[in-house]
Amino acid sequence: MVKAVKHYRPPGKKKEGNAAKFVTRSQALKQLQINLPLFRKLCILKGVTPREPKKKFKGTHQTYYHVKDVAFLHHEPLLEIHREIRVHERKIKKAEAKKNLERAKRLREKTPKPKIDRIIRQRYPRFVDALGELDDCLSMVHLFAALPAAESKKIDIECVHKCRRLAHEWQAFISRTHKLRKAFVSVKGIYYQAEVEGQKITWLTPHSLQQVVSDDVDVITMLNFLQLYEPLLGFVNFRLYHSINLKYPPILDPRLEALAADLYALSRYANANVNAVPSVVNSEASQVAESEQGDAKPKRDDIEHEKSELRLAQLQHQLPTNEPGALMQLVEEAASEEEVDQDTRECKNLFKDLKFFLSREFFLRLYLLRKLILQPSFGGIVSWEGEGAPFQESDQSITHQIVDRDSQGHKFLSREYVQPQWVFDSVNARIILPTVDYMVGRIPPPHLSPFIDYEEEGAYIPDYAKTIKQLQAAARKEVLPLPGVGKEDLEDPQNILVEGIMDRAEANQAAQRKQKMMMLEQQYHNDLKKELQGVTYGKMDSNVDKQTSTGEESTDNAQQKDDADDMGTLMMSRKKRKLLEAMKISNERKQAKNDLIKQRKKKIDEAHKKN
Amino acid sequence: MSPKKQNEEDPHVSDSDTDSTYEDSSAADDDDGDSFGSPSESESEPAAGDDSEPDEHGESDSSGLHQEESDSSEDEVAPRNTVGDVPLHWYDDEPHIGYDIKGKKIKKKDKLDKLGSFLANVDDSKNWRKVYDEYNDEEVELTKDEVKLVRRLLKNRAPHADFNPYPDYVDWFKWDGAKHPLSNAPEPKRRFIPSKWEAKKVVQYVRAIRKGLITFDKPKEEDGPYLLWEDDSGLTEKSNHLAYIPAPKQRLPGNEESYNPPLEYIPTQEEINSYQLMYEEDRPKFIPKRFTSMRSIPAYENAMKECFERCLDLYLCPRVRKKRLNIDPESLKPKLPSRKELKPYPTACYIEYKGHEDAVTSISVEPSGQWIASGSSDGTVRIWEVETGRCLRRWDVGEAVNCVAWNPLPDVHILAVSLGQDVLILNTHLGDDEEQKKIKELLSVDTSTPSDDSGNSATSVRWLQDDKHGAIKLKFFKTVTAVEWHRKGDYFSTVMPAGESRAVLIHHLSKKLTQKLPFKLHGLAVRSTFHPSRSIFFICTKQSVRVYDLLKRKLIKKLDTGLREASSIAVHPGGDNLIVGSKEGKLCWFDMDLSSKPYKTLKCHPKDINNVVYHRSYPLFASCSDDCNAYVFHGMVYSDLNQNPLIVPLEILRGHTSSDGRGILDCKFHPRQPWLFTAGADKLIKLYCH
Repeated sequence: MVKAVKHYRPPGKKKEGNAAKFVTRSQALKQLQINLPLFRKLCILKGVTPREPKKKFKGTHQTYYHVKDVAFLHHEPLLEIHREIRVHERKIKKAEAKKNLERAKRLREKTPKPKIDRIIRQRYPRFVDALGELDDCLSMVHLFAALPAAESKKIDIECVHKCRRLAHEWQAFISRTHKLRKAFVSVKGIYYQAEVEGQKITWLTPHSLQQVVSDDVDVITMLNFLQLYEPLLGFVNFRLYHSINLKYPPILDPRLEALAADLYALSRYANANVNAVPSVVNSEASQVAESEQGDAKPKRDDIEHEKSELRLAQLQHQLPTNEPGALMQLVEEAASEEEVDQDTRECKNLFKDLKFFLSREFFLRLYLLRKLILQPSFGGIVSWEGEGAPFQESDQSITHQIVDRDSQGHKFLSREYVQPQWVFDSVNARIILPTVDYMVGRIPPPHLSPFIDYEEEGAYIPDYAKTIKQLQAAARKEVLPLPGVGKEDLEDPQNILVEGIMDRAEANQAAQRKQKMMMLEQQYHNDLKKELQGVTYGKMDSNVDKQTSTGEESTDNAQQKDDADDMGTLMMSRKKRKLLEAMKISNERKQAKNDLIKQRKKKIDEAHKKN
Repeated sequence: MSPKKQNEEDPHVSDSDTDSTYEDSSAADDDDGDSFGSPSESESEPAAGDDSEPDEHGESDSSGLHQEESDSSEDEVAPRNTVGDVPLHWYDDEPHIGYDIKGKKIKKKDKLDKLGSFLANVDDSKNWRKVYDEYNDEEVELTKDEVKLVRRLLKNRAPHADFNPYPDYVDWFKWDGAKHPLSNAPEPKRRFIPSKWEAKKVVQYVRAIRKGLITFDKPKEEDGPYLLWEDDSGLTEKSNHLAYIPAPKQRLPGNEESYNPPLEYIPTQEEINSYQLMYEEDRPKFIPKRFTSMRSIPAYENAMKECFERCLDLYLCPRVRKKRLNIDPESLKPKLPSRKELKPYPTACYIEYKGHEDAVTSISVEPSGQWIASGSSDGTVRIWEVETGRCLRRWDVGEAVNCVAWNPLPDVHILAVSLGQDVLILNTHLGDDEEQKKIKELLSVDTSTPSDDSGNSATSVRWLQDDKHGAIKLKFFKTVTAVEWHRKGDYFSTVMPAGESRAVLIHHLSKKLTQKLPFKLHGLAVRSTFHPSRSIFFICTKQSVRVYDLLKRKLIKKLDTGLREASSIAVHPGGDNLIVGSKEGKLCWFDMDLSSKPYKTLKCHPKDINNVVYHRSYPLFASCSDDCNAYVFHGMVYSDLNQNPLIVPLEILRGHTSSDGRGILDCKFHPRQPWLFTAGADKLIKLYCH
């Protein structure tokens, strides 16, 4: 028997360890017999990512894939389809070279198309999984919906339109089911957060302005991702529409679509369908529904005028006592009885009984849509200037008009003119904020991110966050009035409570002041006592000395504490010590950031005081 | 003059003659000599002629410019220029512009000066029609019709309004009277019966279709979305594949990304400028900006780029689950027993022994604990009383002292001092007379003895009597750095790092004998020490510690320190544990029963460790270093073999100051009390008590 040398592997024997489990990318390419772009595409579609083997047997500059992952790609039918596509492309080229345009055309039409649905099912076996990873998908689809179609950049007009449609469908669902939770206008775009089936989904929609497709971006990679994301969002939308008993894809009113009110058309579609199909969940409800629908239908027939019908659809939100409205309510409740949670209810009723009007500047296509997504999902009624609007500017019942300009010429006294930020801030705070600061022509208060957790230790809290918190507390108390408040006070609870809150904050400060006073008083009493006992000044001096000596001691103590810290670290293993150091550094960095902000704040405050 | 005659002379002109006549009808009547029609005619005629009368002008297309002029000249009375198609500037300097048909010179006309011509033009309402004909040197006024012509030409239309560019086709062949058709062949039969070949082809196709050889393109079906997840309540995570790690979600935006952040989030101009000085990778990627209204927010220029970067992250980054520790950093520190429970240990400096004039390199405590000896680089050895700090005795040895060591026997009051290449065995003159007598006997060297010494070390060491101090002097051939006594007080070892094979020598005091070690030394010897209870000898070289059995004369163990350069060694009184200090500031604790690797390595000093010591009775050990600190540790060794030694850092002793980059050079424990002596390069010896 020949004794095996350590690193020698006899010809028939398999590899072991990391070398057996992982392959480099070029090895994988060789094994799959495909080129790099196709490999990348497959990886994107199948969700195969490189792995980090413990031992990088071919060097650190290589990318490693797991053998199983490569086998996973190897068995993929997509691989075969892409081979067919390549063959097909060669045929087309040949036909074109022979000037056989007819054949080339036919071949081009017959090019096999890869299907993604199986892969989606494979990657996301449960619907919840798909929802959990929808963030990137939504952000990308929304970005492409805002991109200019460019031949040179290979961005198809169809692709843009499809993205736009999918995005609108998603938005319509979210606003329809009151799932939107937070919205945040940032420099990068507008962030939205919705909660669907317990999954928090956050996505970014770019500002509705001309996006630039820069050259340092590889559009092909993004299109590969889009090839996965488009069908994924389609399937998700289907499932969501299915869950609220709507047909998918929705058929839209072409007139409204042309009027750049796609989303509105969608929401109308949803309303109409729900009306037409009364639910049978609850027999009592259905009976009522049928009887009422009988009443409602002739009415609807009478109303020929398109605009008034639109308006009716909108009004159904508002008037629960109205007959079609009542029906709506029943259906809605039956459909979503089990999933109405506290949050949804809160969101639903936030802007209840409020009527909004958007000024002309919002007729920018996407801008309008984005505004719309806010309003219906939070229970308000919206109209806008332009064709197809449910009601006109002159409507007296409008409570708020949202204006984004320097000054408003003609003003109705019955309504308030606010800047759009008010809507966002109110939504995030879940209360209707006072409109004073958001009046037209003023610089609004800072717009704060709703995604920050101020509870975290050491976090910097901006002033406006504090005032919002106070207002929220006030609003919460509105529901449960204080027992001590007299009847005459109850007539105007809001004012009283806001005052009360302010009092509470003041009371805290007062308590602190009191404590300080108490301490001083105590000291004074002690001194008095000593005087009474006849303590001489010399002893008092010694007392002072003692105090100073204690000061020295305190420095000694600090030294000792340092020493103790050193001792602790001395006995730690190197790994833990490094970890501790890293933690300290990161904490310090965080602290430095906060300090910087605080410092700036201080400077600003000082400057204010001087002025 | 007759036009006919001219025509005969010039055959080319003949055809154009007829159409030029209508020009003449308007122009030829007035005999005043200015022929306004002719230049315009020369321009317009070819085009007009082509369009209106193609048949007549077929051949006259080639007729040159000058010929037409000559043609018109014959109608004019005025002399016409006949120079031909030559550059006109040839005649710039001449008084004439050319020649007429008879060869006479045509004189240039007088020209009005600019002002005159301007005044003339101002008055003339028809001025805009006038055109200067350079060839004939005359001014031509265009008629209305001519202006119209010019305008139509400018519009790229046929010059004459009545010209129809698309006339109806008139068949040249007259069919009316024809008797016979063009072909007389009878209509073939194939025009009436169905084609056999076509039928065959059809049958062929039908068969092929039936056989399925030809398939039709099915109408394209849109594969729209369907209910993909019908009922997935029963589904659980599938386990047949590798664990799937979902991509981490993107960080949610904070206040600084708001379009209208609080003012304090916006960096000042100075801060923004300071970003320029940073490295590019350290520079903040996003600088907060403030817009006062939503309408003023511009498009975000990096939207596409950031999306792309996210894509790259999604498919190119290996995904690894990393545990994020969200714990208090303090909880990472090991739970150590409270220091208060481990008292007593030295905490504060009580006595300073002043008197040396240079760095104190070495100290040694008398076994009873009453005296302490110190050696300094000022060339003196002193003995101090521990409790009072009084200097009892001093010797001027004249050379920097490397090491002092007190004999461990309580009744033998002698001191071994290494200085340069010598080792002195000094009599300290302590103790009663009897003891002194014994010591004096011990310290007398018979001069004859070295000669009959065994040959192995005779050349390296010479035992001499030093009468000045009443001591023995051992002469070495290299510098001796360390002297260490055996527990019985009769033997001592010396280390000469440069001594190669004779680096470590063991000396027998009573026999005045020197022995070389019977082992090969690997590496540079740094220190050596005896086992506290058994006949085992430790030699510390730069990178390892070798343990020899002196009786059996063999290597027992080799301990790998893993240090770069060891500097000191100390053995636990129990004998199974030892510590090694190194020049990189590390302290290794070896448990010899456990392993040949360090049980614990403590990185406590930033600079060289000069000495490490164990206390003889208390569970304490200490290290001193050039960073002017001495560490005191609690080092408990249990008799139970299963229990590892407990090491707890207790105290950092400060107080010495650095001089010449050196701090504390030596430290020793008091033999009975938990006190620590330290000798500093700042000429001081300090005593730290509990």
